[in-house]
Amino acid sequence: MVKEIERAGIPVVHICTVTPISLTVGANRIVPAIAIPHPLGNPALTHEEEFDLRYKMVEKALKALETPVDDQTVFD
Amino acid sequence: MRLELGEIHISDIKLGDCSKVDSGTLYVNVEELRALLLEDEDLASVEFDVVHPGESVRVIPVKDVIEPRVKVEGPGGVFPGVISKVGTVGSGKTHVLKGCAVVTTGKVVGFQEGIIDMTGPGADYTPFSKLHNLVMICEPKEGIKQHQHEHAIRMAGLKAATYLGELARTLTPDETKVYETSGVMSGKEKYPDLPRVGYVLMLQSQGLLHDTYVYGVDMKRSMPTILNPTETMDGAILSGNCVSACDKNTTYHHLNNPVIHDLLEQHGKTINFVGVIITNENVYLMDKERSSDWSTKLASFLELDGALVSQEGFGNPDTDLIMNCKKLEAAGIKTVIITDEYAGQDGASQSLADADPAANAVVTGGNANMVIHLPKMDKVIGHPEAANIIAGGFDGSLEADGSITAELQVITGATNEMGFNKLSAR
Repeated sequence: MVKEIERAGIPVVHICTVTPISLTVGANRIVPAIAIPHPLGNPALTHEEEFDLRYKMVEKALKALETPVDDQTVFD
Repeated sequence: MRLELGEIHISDIKLGDCSKVDSGTLYVNVEELRALLLEDEDLASVEFDVVHPGESVRVIPVKDVIEPRVKVEGPGGVFPGVISKVGTVGSGKTHVLKGCAVVTTGKVVGFQEGIIDMTGPGADYTPFSKLHNLVMICEPKEGIKQHQHEHAIRMAGLKAATYLGELARTLTPDETKVYETSGVMSGKEKYPDLPRVGYVLMLQSQGLLHDTYVYGVDMKRSMPTILNPTETMDGAILSGNCVSACDKNTTYHHLNNPVIHDLLEQHGKTINFVGVIITNENVYLMDKERSSDWSTKLASFLELDGALVSQEGFGNPDTDLIMNCKKLEAAGIKTVIITDEYAGQDGASQSLADADPAANAVVTGGNANMVIHLPKMDKVIGHPEAANIIAGGFDGSLEADGSITAELQVITGATNEMGFNKLSAR
């Protein structure tokens, strides 16, 4: 899906846990997620802490979206 | 370490009022066994059935398959840390009831996984159609939590296998096999010219219904470590997983791991089999990096020339597999990986979710996406409606006449990545 959307000319950030797979399949902007069963959350945290975590991750993804890249890039 | 496996061949199972083995027939006192199992307060009921090779019977869903064994000499007991007290196993003498197994079924938490057909095309895809199976339909009490439910069914299977194994304690084996392993130094002295080969055994460790236990330790909470190969034959590794049943290792697989048996067979002849490195497949990327670092570090400590790596499952564990392979190869250790494929129903898609040029020696257990048709059986044990929601099934998989159309992954052990089954590719 990442590749098809980019092929249509729209840049994509792939938020994913297993970044090596994302690199293998050819995503260009990759933001690491938390864990496979809960990529954008963490059940060990409180509701408020989780919101903060998610907010920052989306912010990071939006920054990645506007960052020019020459090669596949993982935004750690 | 030296382990003698005394095999008692079982050619029939009969339910009755006395538990014993007589002339190759396993008799099971169901009331006594039921009473033992219902000591678990989380179980509401346990029903028993016996299925034989060639019968028109389907078991669905399948939680675990377990071979009955008993430790008759040497330290420890079978299933250490879970049934027996913690104690290092793998030496002395163990008796095995060969040709039979305990199969657990019932509602299996949320997911309902795994099919064993005892006849027809489905039977060809599972090794367990060739065994005489004591099937236990375990139903939980209302209102228990999912993890308690999984635990209750898992323990019921292990307790039953232990109860049956105990019947073999005083029997004279029909056949005895001896497995002998060397220490790291003594092996080097004994076989100075043979290549040093190790086995990296990857274990599912992704949470409820995806877990594996080693001496009672939940493998997702362990760092990779080393086992003597014979420890697995006494039940050091136990299955707590059955989701996408085709490539999950049941406890039966762990007890009879064909990679270990084949490597031991070649030990001292063509190779020096140094040991087993067990590692996990966790859901955090950092764990994947750390565990593959450690399995490689242990392999380097053992100064291996070569390694076999077997995967369990598919999808994100493909990354654990490729990380292990890449790092081992980079450390100068020649590596062969054993996996299976999800190449689409037509077999034309990429087989693994991850890939690397270092993975240049691959053995496959077959394509789990292949569509199969399982005809109606005269009898179904368990919950046939599960066919519509298991991995590899789809709404409508279960047809009105009782037949099932689904992907191969519905069948327990069909594409096993220890190479336990017959499927492969060139």
